Amino acid sequence: MSTEATLQTAQALLAPWTKGARAPEPDRLDVLIDAADLTAAVQTLHDARWGYLAAITALDYLGKTASFAQDARWQALMASGRVPADGAPLEALYFFAAGRAIVTLRMLLPREGAAIASICGILPSASFFERELSEMFGITVTETPDPNHLFLPENWPAGVHPLRKDFAPGRQ
Amino acid sequence: MENETREKFIIPIGPQHPALKEPGHFEFSVDGETVTGATVRLGYVHRGIEKAAEERNWVQDLYLLERICGICSHAHALAYSLGVEKLAGVTAPPRAQAIRQLVAELERVHSHLLWLGVSAHEAGFDTLFMFSWRDRETIMDVLEGLTGNRVNYSVNVLGGVKADIDDARADAIRRGIDFLEERTQHYLKIATSDETFLRRTRGVGYTSREQAEELGLVGPTARAANVARDVRVDVPYAAYTDFPVQMTLDTRGDLEARFVVRIRELFESYRVVRQILDRLPAGELTARMPRRIKEGETVSRIEAPRGELFYFIKSNGSDKPERIKVRTPSICNFAVVTGTAKGHQLADMPMILAGMDPCFSCNDR
Repeated sequence: MSTEATLQTAQALLAPWTKGARAPEPDRLDVLIDAADLTAAVQTLHDARWGYLAAITALDYLGKTASFAQDARWQALMASGRVPADGAPLEALYFFAAGRAIVTLRMLLPREGAAIASICGILPSASFFERELSEMFGITVTETPDPNHLFLPENWPAGVHPLRKDFAPGRQ
Repeated sequence: MENETREKFIIPIGPQHPALKEPGHFEFSVDGETVTGATVRLGYVHRGIEKAAEERNWVQDLYLLERICGICSHAHALAYSLGVEKLAGVTAPPRAQAIRQLVAELERVHSHLLWLGVSAHEAGFDTLFMFSWRDRETIMDVLEGLTGNRVNYSVNVLGGVKADIDDARADAIRRGIDFLEERTQHYLKIATSDETFLRRTRGVGYTSREQAEELGLVGPTARAANVARDVRVDVPYAAYTDFPVQMTLDTRGDLEARFVVRIRELFESYRVVRQILDRLPAGELTARMPRRIKEGETVSRIEAPRGELFYFIKSNGSDKPERIKVRTPSICNFAVVTGTAKGHQLADMPMILAGMDPCFSCNDR
């Protein structure tokens, strides 16, 4: 199957949860979804045997809230009252790869109380990635089988997340 | 009495030198000698490189990321360079791409020979360990002659490479490869026929193809369970379109298969190194790169010696990256320890760990 056809298949599979889609590069598809729909979307890709989970990471948009002015997902988060007026979002990224094609599920999360459901029930291989995501970005992964630190020491201060933009190495 | 049988007995291994000379902590719950569960803790030498990369410029990051791992330094530098070049809309010249592939394959040879020695040592077969490490010096000399360094070859620059190959250098590489090919035949024979060695590998650490996919294994560890996935073949990068490689697969899925797949991959590397030397494209070594990289995001994937190496790079248009995510192959392959430990003898754990070719500096990046 050609890369375009593979991406089209994924786009069709994910359509029920898609809040927006874009193709940043010819072999990639970014699908914007709500965090609440993550497990359903992953289950669909898994059931269709579409590719494999390549990586999970996040982005911190501290100081870059302006770029989300037109984003319906961000407006919905603001309307929910979970985000302070001067808040900035985190965005969780789940990469799935099938040959040349890469699909990224992208979800906006509030900085305070960011939480996302575990996908380990569907893909057990996500366990290490989820542990890293939660300790480095402060995104709670609910019902992940092993919530312990993977990389950070046991005595690492609570609430300090090294890959957030407000973490300054050596000055904590 | 009933309570006693329900309690788990936990054997901690590590963090100091859990079989290997790198730190990691494993907890195996056991029933007698049989393992009933395993957990992993990493990060004892975590260096925060992803964070540090956000505070350095694009050129400095090349040298920083290359130092994620001393074994597969070229893999990191290559994945990063290809990603940044893609963002900048620059393509390195064909000669540079061919030299990148050549060094990548030489690095694979050194990495697989290093691993062969480590796993032989874990199996108690120190003669094989010493032989394979002696032979590995051949490839280290080749790499030093070509790039000036034994480790962290620093052959990449953004937009190309800085090491060139003349006829004398090409002959030196060919001589090294010829010697190693003969030695590798011998190692393949040992790995598939030595009775004592086979008792440590045959049927141990078995994963079926379905299980390997479920655990998310990558690289030779997955290919030993017949998972047909190799970035060099699936998504050719550098010069792999002009100098293609064959995928090495095995259907058995046990430790023996992981030995056979890695040793067979060596032959494929020797073949493609010779092919590149014979047909090295002429021309420039570098293309011009801008200092600031235009805004955008990209994914860059390559096949490191241990499997798929995944880079996600986001640029905000300045001279520093906004975010660099590095997903190394070892973090995926650790699942083979936690996933297949159950039911094995505790004494098999070091072999199963060594069999996935773990790289702790990959994880503690």
